[in-house]
Amino acid sequence: MKTSTRIAAALSAAALGVGLTACAADQGGTSADGSFAPSGDASMIVPFSAGGGSDASGRAIAAGLEAATGTNVVVENREGGSGAVGYSYLLSQEGDDQTLLAAETSLSSIPLSQDVDFTATSFTPVAKIGEDATLLVVPASSPFQTCSDVTTAAGAGSVVVAVSGAVSLDEVVFRLIETETGVTFDRVPYESGGEVLTGLLGGQVQVASLNPGEVVGQLESGDLRALCAVAEERYTDYPELADIPTATEQGIDVAFTQWRGFIGAGGMSPEARTYWADAAEAWTQTPEYEEYISSNYMQPVTAYGEELDAYLAEYDAQLATAIGR
Amino acid sequence: MIDNLLLGFEAALSWQNLGWCFVGVLLGTVIGLMPGLGSTTGVAILLPLTLAMDPLTALIMLAGIYYGAQYGGTITSVLISTPGEAASVVTTIDGYQMARNGRAGAALAIAAIGSFVAAILSLALLIALAPPFARWALNFGPPENLALMVLGLATIVSFSGGSLARGLAMACLGLLLGTVGVAIGTGEARYTFGSVDLLSGIPFVEVMIGLFALGEVLHQVRQGAEAPIRARFRDLVIKGSELRRSVAPVLRGSGLGFLLGVLPGSGSTLASFIAYGVEKRVSPRKAEFGKGAIEGVAAPESANNAAANANFIPTLALGIPGGATTAVLLGAFTIYGLQPGPLLFEEQPRLVWGLLVSFFIGNLMLLVLNLPLAPAFAQMLRIPYGYLYPIILITSCVGAFSISNNVFSIWIVLAAGAAGFVMKQYDLPMAPLVLGLVLGPLFEKALVQTSAIGNGDLTVVFASPIAVTVLVLAGLLAFGPQLWGLVRRRSGRSGGQGGPGGPSAGAPAPTPAGVA
Repeated sequence: MKTSTRIAAALSAAALGVGLTACAADQGGTSADGSFAPSGDASMIVPFSAGGGSDASGRAIAAGLEAATGTNVVVENREGGSGAVGYSYLLSQEGDDQTLLAAETSLSSIPLSQDVDFTATSFTPVAKIGEDATLLVVPASSPFQTCSDVTTAAGAGSVVVAVSGAVSLDEVVFRLIETETGVTFDRVPYESGGEVLTGLLGGQVQVASLNPGEVVGQLESGDLRALCAVAEERYTDYPELADIPTATEQGIDVAFTQWRGFIGAGGMSPEARTYWADAAEAWTQTPEYEEYISSNYMQPVTAYGEELDAYLAEYDAQLATAIGR
Repeated sequence: MIDNLLLGFEAALSWQNLGWCFVGVLLGTVIGLMPGLGSTTGVAILLPLTLAMDPLTALIMLAGIYYGAQYGGTITSVLISTPGEAASVVTTIDGYQMARNGRAGAALAIAAIGSFVAAILSLALLIALAPPFARWALNFGPPENLALMVLGLATIVSFSGGSLARGLAMACLGLLLGTVGVAIGTGEARYTFGSVDLLSGIPFVEVMIGLFALGEVLHQVRQGAEAPIRARFRDLVIKGSELRRSVAPVLRGSGLGFLLGVLPGSGSTLASFIAYGVEKRVSPRKAEFGKGAIEGVAAPESANNAAANANFIPTLALGIPGGATTAVLLGAFTIYGLQPGPLLFEEQPRLVWGLLVSFFIGNLMLLVLNLPLAPAFAQMLRIPYGYLYPIILITSCVGAFSISNNVFSIWIVLAAGAAGFVMKQYDLPMAPLVLGLVLGPLFEKALVQTSAIGNGDLTVVFASPIAVTVLVLAGLLAFGPQLWGLVRRRSGRSGGQGGPGGPSAGAPAPTPAGVA
């Protein structure tokens, strides 16, 4: 019995060793001179859990890149810390040409608000594949008819709004409205768009700022009403949303757009960057891309290379003034 | 109603849908078996493979994975004390003891039967009353959730084993560990010491794998491996007396699981904890709990399956996620070009009713699959435990790694395993620690939100009749027997013989009745 126990313990230790080594092993990206071609699988990091908007966009992009390049693009959810865990992982892949990350506003908002080792410029931006804005929505029974009703009420007393995180898109939107109009909202913090929706339907909060794709079902059923779109223009491409006025039309000069796309690790070779950007551009010409954009009520606005660098620099600056500490 | 059911059967009974339903429940069982790899990850991984399918077929398969995993998660909990799913943690307490007593077959069988009964009951309610239940669930805002978390914490009394003080100490440790990570609301990082991995907190699935699976392995290594269990095949089949004992726990578990599952966000883990806590309170055999009571398997297993089904109520009727897995499924709706929301029942009757009917079919498949397999799986314990160590270690580490593709998870498992070993040596109960770690962040969230709603005034909780009711139930759960003893003494009877355990059988009986 003694020996068998010892053998078992040794076996266990060995097994553990094998397990750890196997896990620690990592695929390496190689870049040839002149032109780049991926060797083996590429990976698409999604810094949020499966099921959210970022996950959906990460999976759609990965499928698009797979179709365009013939290379497997494996989606990995590395969630945590409102996205910080996934970005930090990408930071550790410096110089890798085959590790991509499905990015959006959090690329700029996390370093502005959390104590992390990266900034928005620590990575290699590859492609912006679309834009998304938010609607201010209220329960059907709400007395508010316009967004200016909301700000007036907030100025006179208190309005309880939902935010899905300390630096989430909805927090940015409310912060911008506060700065513009000089009122203050009372916030109830939630942890996801789904939770915010639940709180709004249950009457625990009065106003929420959500992506159209998250609420269109409840808008159509009449459970919720949209007061205004916090966007530059109306959603003229989508008949079910076309009647929603912009915040500016209602006298609140605020518009804020979320971008979606993907980035590579810092120090990615220029060849690889061009390779992935070309693949993304090829995907945006397909019906699958149109389907992705329309089913999520997004805008097909794209940017690559230097154009994207300039866009992100301006975006980062805009965010910094809005939520910078 | 009948028309809708017929439509559902017509849709679900095609060869294609039956086939994929079977594939789904089978895959779900396997995914549930793997520690760490839960239904949420399973559904997310397999989602892309379903894109070419008809949306109904795809959803039938993905839902099959979800509830199939609830069955599979039990098997490893019972056999090797390794919870395959978070909702199966509680099952390890009595399930594993049953296995050590040679009753693994019975434990697995009652889990399958309980899960099946719970599924059928909750489905009947779902089909008849989904929209009103969904509207009712919306009344659970932050104050009500806060009361619910108090109820969850009150079950610590049931998880403390011999000493309440030890149980409370472990629960506090769990709550403290639960404060690590980014704080809700302010977004500040607490106790992370600059580590990015700790930003999202100490992950409880990894902790639970380490505590229960590795802790048990180390404990066995230290005390010398236990002899393999050589039960005869017919001894592994569940007995009639065991079935009779389980009727009430299954029904109570189903009711509690259903009610908790309807609430958005609370999910099946909380349901399994509360069902166990309540069961131990009301059971006439409370002394057997923790030593291999079949009620301790029947109640939480029924509850987690009922909750898994009830989770679909807010998902289908309102378009808001009931739990983590249904959140992924909601994402899948959009990918198939369906718009989740309150209109789903009207606009997509074939899809909704076909899906609901497929739950009946899938659960029947799982019962047929699991009942004969229960004694077969139990035969695994004939393998000398020494040969199981490496398998348990590998599956634990691979499972932990698969949760977030992160080596950090493995370190957590190893650390928790060492802690589990120490706790076993000093006879410290592990379930309260897991309970504290699971409920801590939820409790804090409800607290912060309630405080935000009341502008810092927490007494808003008492303005809500639902919250007050839940708090009273929590009080009964924690202090019921003592109060009952007091009442009996006051009323002049010579009560109190048999100490606190004696009169408890009848005492909190109104608790589950009141809840259900």
